[in-house]
This record gives sequence, structure tokens and C-alpha cells, in this order.
Amino acid sequence: MTSTATDTLVRRRRSFSRKDRLTLSAFVGIPTAFHILLVWVPAVGTIGLSFTFWTGIRISDIKWAGFQNYNNILTGTPVFWDAIWHNIIWLLWFGLIATPLGILLAYQIDRQIRGHRFYESAFFVPVVLSLAVTGIIWNFMLQPGGFVQGILGRDISNPISIYGNYDINTYVILGIASWRHIGYIMLLYLSGLKSVDPSLKEAAAIDGATEWQTFRKVILPTMRPVNIIIIVITVIDSLRAFDIVYMIYGSSTGWPILGILVFQNISGGGMSMKGAAYAVILFALCIGPMISYLKQSFAEDVK
Amino acid sequence: MSEQNNGISRRTVLKGAAVGGLGIAAGSTLLTSCGSDAVGPMKWGGRGLEESSVQWHEAVKAAFEEATGNTVTLNMNDSNAFQDNLSQYLQGTPDDGFDWMAGYRMQFYADQGLLEDVSSVWDEIGDQFAESYKIASTGSDGKQYFLPTSWYPWGLHYRKSTMTELGLDPENIATWDDFMKMLEATKKAGLIGYALGDKGGWEAMGTFDILNARINGYQFHVDLLAGKEKWTDAKVAEVFKYFEMMIPYMNTNVLDISWEGMRDLLLQKKCGAMMMGSWFSGDFKTLSQADYDDLWIVPFPEINPEHGRDTIDAPIDGLCVAANGENPEGGKELVKWLASAEGMQARLDSGNTFTSANKNQDTSSYDPFQKQQLAVMAEAKYITQFLDRDTRQDFANPVVAPAIQNFLRAPKDINKILEGVQEQWDALPAL
Repeated sequence: MTSTATDTLVRRRRSFSRKDRLTLSAFVGIPTAFHILLVWVPAVGTIGLSFTFWTGIRISDIKWAGFQNYNNILTGTPVFWDAIWHNIIWLLWFGLIATPLGILLAYQIDRQIRGHRFYESAFFVPVVLSLAVTGIIWNFMLQPGGFVQGILGRDISNPISIYGNYDINTYVILGIASWRHIGYIMLLYLSGLKSVDPSLKEAAAIDGATEWQTFRKVILPTMRPVNIIIIVITVIDSLRAFDIVYMIYGSSTGWPILGILVFQNISGGGMSMKGAAYAVILFALCIGPMISYLKQSFAEDVK
Repeated sequence: MSEQNNGISRRTVLKGAAVGGLGIAAGSTLLTSCGSDAVGPMKWGGRGLEESSVQWHEAVKAAFEEATGNTVTLNMNDSNAFQDNLSQYLQGTPDDGFDWMAGYRMQFYADQGLLEDVSSVWDEIGDQFAESYKIASTGSDGKQYFLPTSWYPWGLHYRKSTMTELGLDPENIATWDDFMKMLEATKKAGLIGYALGDKGGWEAMGTFDILNARINGYQFHVDLLAGKEKWTDAKVAEVFKYFEMMIPYMNTNVLDISWEGMRDLLLQKKCGAMMMGSWFSGDFKTLSQADYDDLWIVPFPEINPEHGRDTIDAPIDGLCVAANGENPEGGKELVKWLASAEGMQARLDSGNTFTSANKNQDTSSYDPFQKQQLAVMAEAKYITQFLDRDTRQDFANPVVAPAIQNFLRAPKDINKILEGVQEQWDALPAL
């Protein structure tokens, strides 16, 4: 089996004509060049920048700083730890609550429970909206003088403090983020579930497996590629969170999160090197999940 | 919507024509301030998307076009976003002239070579400004990069009608005790004593500035912001002790609202007083003349008799010319006219509630509120710009703003917060 496959592969490679090769190298080469130019050059530049002092304007003003920006962030910037903490809570919330809810929803809809079409579209709608729009909508809903406050009969002089109340605002923001995330995960999982061979489930049922056992022992393992993508998306979305928070709090650190710190330092403040250092920290936190994501997708391609 | 826009532009064009006529009648200044030749189309980057702001920008643009025969493209921007993105804006394809501020925030960009030297404009119309304005417009290399147009005081704003109803007379509040009594009386009447929002992170800096100036004096305030005094000094902790005394009289959602929220509390008569720059008064006027007539400002009361009421935050706004603009010469013509007495007159005629920075300005057309703004500023011996204009940019918003927000969340942590501020100042790279 393997040897035949290799034979075909070798034969195919040999049969590439010169024209084919040119076409192929153009198709691979041009996007690669763009990718290197637009992704890797800025990325390496950002990493370099994070080891300097620079106002971000004249290249001649750049000065080597070693690890001082990182040292400053880790030891001299309390807001960094607040931001990390918020990112961690975000990750835990998404990982333990929002994502499992999305999976549960997808599973139920796939079983075609009553009204599944309604649930599907209801949960799907927020996915269509960009995160920025989501932030704007919920800001209008909950801010003083907003829709929800109005329904509760609160005018602007006695509103319920929501975004500025640090006992609850974290959960409110996570709730808003989940509003979209749950639908997104549901959608991804649903498309995966559709491709699961129904005969597997039938076989499990005939063998007397309960619903939970079928899900855990049969569905979940067959869905492995989708599972990994979902895990990666959950991790990356939690770490790079920015849009919703920016729409609600602006560039101030009303509810600090790493993405906001990157933005706040690079824009306006003349502290692009510190912003770059935040970005590198964020990148380092994201790279693990990204590598596993790439590995997974490459593994699929090889199959 | 489009109908409304047409309405505005038609009105402003008419107004502009009238102003232009006045300008020609005034004669001499017009001849010196604009050459007979038009210098080509130019662009003006304006700040502020509030109706009142857009309105005066359009009126002044029309007046400029009428007076000089130039064509101006006006691009209005959201004020905060413009500020955040200025560095990128100036390195890209900026408008030729744009609204900006004096002091540190101008000097930084001038040092980076992003602003056009406008000394030549100062040579022409510099005699229309007080010497202190020239200093505030000068970069670290001794050249001018800025033209002042307006300035406004930070003070206690209130509605006269509310105070009359409460039987209070804020004009006669001289001391901290009087002030606390006033807050108490407002609170008893079921209103918010002192409206504050700090969602944007900068709004509460106004309160910090004035408390520090009142308690520790101008020199300490300036030295603190320049890093010559320490944030861990007991004098700074004292400032926050006073700040904390005011918290019970504030709205309970300080971190939920930004300056718009504060303005709305005052507009809807939900609060007694608030500390803010008078620039927001245009929004009152947009709503109705009656609301505007009801608005008043007094200086923050004295705390330490040694310093009295000798200091005020009175930021200078104005214009810069972008070095990377398509038409820097046109930009210079634009800012020269806009900052001149006749340009400012066009702005005042459009109903703008700012006070002119031009020493030749005819103040007879000022309304009582504008005259009061001038009086409040004239009372002070020392003028400061505002915390985020008086210190390093990489310190004010990234460090001081979250520190004050944290203080408002948990006032008892103030010592720890101030230690953090000092540590962060010490960790800043040398400029």
C-alpha cells in the first residue's frame, strides 16, 4: 500500500512539465513573498523593536535597551498583571463554560430537538456581527441611559453601575463575548457533526451505549480534528481579545487586557517599544496553540 | 439627514459671506494676513464630532474661503481617536493644518520633525498674542510650531437655576468647608453633589490638578509632573485625602461614565457642580440658549491659604501645520488666518463659546459666560495646561490615568498606588 502510494507520487513529480513548474512556483512563490513581506518582516521588526527605546518616528533615534522594556513591564507596571489576570479569566471562562456550551448546543441541534432550526439561527445571528459591532450594541444596551437601564426605570442619575463596577464587569464582558463565541463554536461543531457517519451512532446504540457514552467514546474521538481547531480558536480568541473591550472602554485601561495595552502604548503615547514588548508577550502566549493548530492542519493535508 | 446638512451648509455659507464682508470692511488686517494670490487647495483636520464643534468649523472654513479665495477641504475627526492616532496621522498623509494643543503634546511631535516650523507666521501676526502664548507655542529648538486660537478654564461648572433652587450661592464659596457644606446640601436635596466620570481616564485628572495646586501650590505641581518631586511624597497622599472626602458626594458610577456622561448629568439637572473645562459649553448652546444662559463657572475654592486660588488649568488650543502635508505653505496661510483676530471673530460669530487667545480680539461681543471664563482665568496668577499636557505622554495616560481610576475604585489603596506611580516614573527611559 505504502510503496504504491510512493510510486504514484514519484511518477507524478516526474511528469511535471517546465510550464507546470513555472506556474506552480508562481502560485507558491508570490503568496509566500507576500506572506514574508506582510507577516514575517513586521513580526521580526516588532520583536526587534521590543528590545529598544524608540518613539516610533525617526529611525535614527532608536536606542538599544536590552531587556529593559520587559523588565519594566514585569516589575514596574501593575496594570500588566491586571491585564494578564483578565486574559486568564477570559480563557478559563471560554474554555470551561462558553466552548462546552457551544458544543452542547451543536450536539442538541444535530439531534434535531424540537425547534432546532430556531435555536440554530438564533445562536448563529451574533456570529455574523463583528466583535466591534457586538461591543457597540452591548455598550448601548447597558451604559447609563441605555436600553436596559431604561427598562429598569433608571435614569442617568441613578443607574446601575455595570461597566465601572469591578465586582461584576468582568462577567458582563465575558457574557457579551460568549454571546458571540457560543454561536461560533456551535457552528464549527455542527459542521463537524454533520460529517460523522450516522452508522457509528447506530452501532453504538445497538451495543447499548447511553447517550453520554456515545458522545464521549464515539463522537468525540471521531471529531478529533474539529476538537483541536476549537481548542486553538478558544485559546487564541481569549488571548487576542481586544475589540469588545475597546468599544466599551476606549483606549483607557478601564478594563485592562493585553490587546488594549499593546494598542494604548503604540498609539498616541510615543511608547511603541513598550507596546511591541506587550505584543511579543502576547505572541509568546499564542504561539503554543498556533503550532498545534498548524500541525493539525498539516497532518490533515498529508492524509 | 442630508436635508439637515444642506441647511447647515447654506446657513454657514451665508454667515461666511457676511463675515467676509466684515473682513473686507475691516480692511488692513485682511491685506496683511492673506496674499492676493490663492495658495492652492488645502486641507484642515478638525477635532470633535459634536454638533457644536462641526458647526463652528464649517462656518470658519466658509469664512476663510470667502475672505481669501482659497479652497479648503475640512476633515472632521473624533477627538479622542485623533489624539490616539496623531503619530500615525502625521507620518501618513496628514491634512495641511490641523487642530492641536500647546505644550508638551506639541513639542513632542515638533522634536520628531513632524510639524512644520511656523515662525514665519509668528513674524507676521505674532504681535497679536501675549508673550506667554509664544512660549507655549515654541518647540525645544526655539522655533514656533503652533498658533494659539482659544483657551478655556477648568473650574466648577453648575447651573444657576439649580443652585438658586437649593438656596446656594457658589460664587461665594471661598473655602473647603464652604465647599463641603455645598456638596452636603446638594446631596440632601437628592442630587449628585459633584459629578465625576473617569471612564476615559483623563476626566478626573482635572480634579487632581486643582487639588494639588490648591493644597501644595503651583511650583510643587509643576515639579511633580516634571519628575522633580516624588509621587510618594506625603504631600501627594494629602491631595488624595481631600479627593477621598469628595467621593461620598459623587455619582456612584464614576468609572461607568466619561465626560459626556458628566455633561448629561449637568444638562439634565441631576447634579450640583462638576469640574470640567468650559469647552463643553457649546453642547449646552446647541441644545438651547436657555440651557446655555443657565450655565456658570467659578474657580475651585481655596484649600491652603498660602496658595489661595492662584493656579488654574487653562489649556491653550490651536493649530499646527503638518510637515508631511501636501501643501505646507497653504497650511501656513490657513493657520495664520484662523488664528488671527478676524479668523477668531468668524469663529465667535458662528456662536462658538470659547474665548479667543488673540490679544486684539474685540471682546465686546462676548456673552456673560465667556466673560466669566475670562474672569476666572484672569484671577489666577499661574496657568497650567492640564495633566496630560504638562507631563510626558508616556506617563500621563499609561500611568497616571489608571492610577487615578484605581484610586477611585479603592481609595484605601492609595499609598500602594502612588508607590507604583513613582516606580513607573523611575522606569521611564530618558528622553
